[in-house]
This record gives sequence, C-alpha cells and structure tokens, in this order.
Amino acid sequence: MILWLLIGLISMSLMVYALQIMALRKKIRENYTAIELPPVSIIKPLKGIDDNLFDNLESFCRQDYPKYELILSLQHKDDPAYRVAEKIRNKYPNIVKIVVDNSHKALNPKVKNMIQAYEISSYDYFLISDSNVFVEPDYLRKTVAAMSKDTGLVTNLIMGVGGKSLGAKLENLQLNSFIILSVCFLDKFLRMPCSIGKSMLMRKKDFEEIGGFNSVKDVLAEDYIIGKLMHEKGKKVVLCSHVIKNVNEYWSIKRFFNRHTRWAKIRWKIAGLKYFTEPLGNPVFISSFLPLLDGFSRISIIGVLTVMSLKVMFDLYVSRIIKSEIGLSSILIPFKDLLTAFMWFIPLFNCKINWRDNLYTIGRNTIIMPYEKGKSIRLIFNKLKAAFAS
Amino acid sequence: MLLCDFHIHTKYSDGSVELRKVIDIFGQAGFDVIAITDHVVNGDSMIGKFAYQFGLTITEKNFNEYIEHVKYEAERAWNKYEMLVIPGVEISKNYVSSEKSAHILILDIKEFIPPCESYEFIFLEAKKQNALVIACHPHQMKGEIRNTLYLWNNRDKYGKYIDAWEIANRDDVFSVISLMKYPYIANSDFHKPSHLYSWKTLLNCDKNIESVKKCIKLNKGVAITLFRG
Repeated sequence: MILWLLIGLISMSLMVYALQIMALRKKIRENYTAIELPPVSIIKPLKGIDDNLFDNLESFCRQDYPKYELILSLQHKDDPAYRVAEKIRNKYPNIVKIVVDNSHKALNPKVKNMIQAYEISSYDYFLISDSNVFVEPDYLRKTVAAMSKDTGLVTNLIMGVGGKSLGAKLENLQLNSFIILSVCFLDKFLRMPCSIGKSMLMRKKDFEEIGGFNSVKDVLAEDYIIGKLMHEKGKKVVLCSHVIKNVNEYWSIKRFFNRHTRWAKIRWKIAGLKYFTEPLGNPVFISSFLPLLDGFSRISIIGVLTVMSLKVMFDLYVSRIIKSEIGLSSILIPFKDLLTAFMWFIPLFNCKINWRDNLYTIGRNTIIMPYEKGKSIRLIFNKLKAAFAS
Repeated sequence: MLLCDFHIHTKYSDGSVELRKVIDIFGQAGFDVIAITDHVVNGDSMIGKFAYQFGLTITEKNFNEYIEHVKYEAERAWNKYEMLVIPGVEISKNYVSSEKSAHILILDIKEFIPPCESYEFIFLEAKKQNALVIACHPHQMKGEIRNTLYLWNNRDKYGKYIDAWEIANRDDVFSVISLMKYPYIANSDFHKPSHLYSWKTLLNCDKNIESVKKCIKLNKGVAITLFRG
C-alpha cells in the first residue's frame, strides 16, 4: 500500500516537474514592445570580489539604451571591490558613479549599501542589480519594455553560468532547474508575485508609496517583501522573459550549501506550511525512498535509476530552453537533488543565517536579528524561570 | 598604491588554471600588477626528474613560447584591465633535503637560465638580463614537509644578489625577514583560484615594469596586505 502511494507520489512529482517546464516555455516566449525608454538609474551594491566582477560591471556600461547611469555603492573604501569599481569608473566616466557610505542604519547589509545610492540617483526609474550578474546589451531595453503603466516592479529570470569548480557546477545546476522552474511556475500557474533581487526595476514614486528602503531594512528577503508590498498596493509584479546570467565560477561546496540553506530558510519563513509541498518538485528525492521501502531489490533500483535518468533528461531540456551549457555536469544532477533534499530539512531545525560574513537569526517574514550565541538557550531558561516563579 | 602579486603559476608548470584564465582571475579582481612565474625545475635530482617526466616545468625548449604567450596575454591584460603583467619564472632547485632546496623568482626575465647551474651563475645571469631576483618562501612553512631553506641558511653568502625576500607566502608570514630588515614583498604562490585570497604586496610607484622593479629594489613605498574577497 505504502509502496503504491510512493509510486503515485513519484509520478505526481514528475508531472509537477513537467508542468514547471511548461511554465518556463510559456514564459520564455513572452515578448514586450517598448513604448518609451525613460532614463534609468542602475544601483549596484558591491561587497567583496565576485567571480567575473569586472566583466559583470562592464556589461552594464555597454547597454544599448539612450540614457542611464550606473551607481556602484559600497560601505567602505577598503572593500576589495572598490578597486574594481574605480577601474570601471575610469573606463566609463560618463556612466559610472561610486558611492561609499556606511552611515545609514539597516540590518540587511544589501539595503544598507543602497540607501545613499538611491538618494543621489538622478532618474525616476531605478533598477537594483546584484554584483554577480552579467547582462547582454539589450537587457535594459527589454526589461524597461516590460514596465507598463500599472506595473510596479519588473524582475528577471536568472540562470547560472561559468561553473568550473564542483561547488559552482552544483550551484548552476540548481539555478538552472529548481530555481528558474519554481519562479516560472509560481508566476504562470499560481499567479503569485515573484521578485528576484538580482534585477528589480521600479519607479521611485511606487517604491516610496510602499515605504521605500525603510520598509525592508530589517528583513532578509527584501526582494520578496518589495514584490509583496507592490502587489498589495495593486501594482503588477512582472517577471520579464529576458534571462540574465549569474556568473558562478569557483564556488566551494560550502558556499553552495550556505546559499541554498539560506534560501531554504527564507522560503520556510515566507511559505509556512506550503513549504512542505516543495519536495514534490524533487522526484529524485522521493524515488530514493523506494529502496528503503522495497529493500534494495532489482525493481526498486531500476525505479530509482529510471527517475534519475528522466530528471537528467528534463534538466537537459531546460538547459536547451534557456540556452545554457550543462555538458558533463549533468551526471551531477541526481547528487545535487539529493543534497538539496537534505538541505530542505535544515530550516525546520535551525534559523541561523550566515550572509556575507554577517550572522543573523531569521524570523517570520524573514525579519532578521543579529545572532547571539546561546540566545535561544537563555530564552528557554528565562521562560522556565518565569513559569516557576509564577 | 598598486595591488600586486609576483608569484603566480599556470598550467605551464604545476598550476591548475590556464594562463589566459589566470590573467582574467586577477584582472576581474582589480589587480594592478602581477608576475607569471612558472617553475623551471632542476633536472639533476630525483624530484626534478619527476617534474620533467610529468611536464610540470618550463624547459629550454618551450621557454620562448612561454614568454611570447605571457607577453601576448600581458597586452590583452593592459588593454582590458589596465593590469601590468610581468613575465618571470621560479627557478626551483629541488632536493630531498629542505636545507639543500631553494626557489628563486626571476622577474622580467628575457632569456632562459639553466636551473642546474650554480647559484652564483643564476644570480649573475639574472642581473645581466636586468631581471629582479626574489628569494621565495625562504623559511619554514606551516604544513610543508619539504621547505626551501638553502638561501636563508646561506644568506651571508648570497644576500648581496637577492633584491627582495618573500616576507609572506600565501598564508604564511616569515617574521625573520622583517627582523633582519631585509627588503620584502608578499605573494600568493598562486596554483588554484582559492589562492587568490592570500598575502599581497602594495607598491607606491608608477605602473610600469621599471618603476615596479625599482620600487621593490629600493624597498620604499612597499607594504603588504592580506587580501580577502
């Protein structure tokens, strides 16, 4: 009985995955025509050296767009990224500005980094873009084209490229399967606002109406909250079909593990009970229960191998749709799926976050607090003490 | 101040990254000056023979090709990143005993220097080529079974030929160099991408080969920094 239930779950999981691919296909086919091309301020928070940083920044200086500025914002001049920012400014002095400021108060370091840049930005349209993103020259034109009158926020699909180390390969496989597919599925079939911090285009007027950076300074998922607030204000959150590249070349496995447990914790704090439906999008993980229930019989092993092969074929097809090159890395897909399944459990037991060397505790709606060692034990102790006293 | 790294290996010897990619890794990270210094290993010892067997060394045969390739990439690095790339080698005299072994960086090398020759010959040949001589990892390194102590142990004899000593190599710091007030630089001894994050040199001089060499030689306007991404 349980075995049949499991087989049913595996079939359902594969069907869900196929539906997600359908959502991606639909999304990619979307086209927009630009009515006007208003000037745009691109705000790029920098911290530390990302893979391909110079080229990433330069790709934003080579946009086929009439009028825009690129503001590189850092908290300290001794940040290693400052040298790269200076080189880019020297090369493109008419486009690039550098802002160094650490005076604003915000627990979210990315938000803290952007407040001053936002204040000095010249144009009504502004775009927040992460430093690890590489774009093609038509990126700005296509993203602005997706901004209609009733749109509050335009965000883009991301794909991982350039994996050279094992950690980077796993990272790109995860971005080019689970992440891109879930985003498209939420957008196309569930009509949920889905905003991705790597690229967010807004009008200042709309942004200030939802409270500006003040409303997201102490949350971890500022992108999700901005999208949610826009949606609640009655503004559309548009997922633009133009795919941007997240360059990950030399990641360690630890870094891959750290990012995806952090993202899993964010999803757990945002989705609540819906988080438990997530493993349905991971057929390899569900099929791994087959040998546990049926013993390591020939049929169960064939079952697992079949699901793994199907999953690899699905992911190869996704890579064809988004024009990424998986190559031999595809043999890592089952391993990656099992690893991410393990990571899925972590948020249920741990709410500590390590983000760019800052430690936080994450709460409901991803509100963050600085992490204090032994705080949870102290809280339990105090509660017990209070209970005894009363 | 110029951010510099003068001790970098590529796939020409025992590095794990192709020369072009190495240039890009440093260029993308905003470096101002680097030196490509692949191993030229002595073939007169067992360890040296091993390096020749597995192609982990520059040889007299491929030296010119190597230098030409570095120069070609140097031009690209300058045009794209405004990063100065200096051609160099690391002459590696490897023996079983740490006391007998020594590694020497020759920066701005023009012609092949045979590694099996005597130290005096190597130093004088480098001087003839107006190249810079650096004694690298001259003291005990943490976690290394085989060290390269010969030059340090014979510093009274060879010190006059050496333009600077590596005061820090990757994560190791050799305090003896500063105690002796010797001219110093700090390098990554780059073999793989994670080595980017290590000790580096900061130079207060113009960005051209002659100024860089002069700055190191005079050892004025030199600082070291621990570069963390």
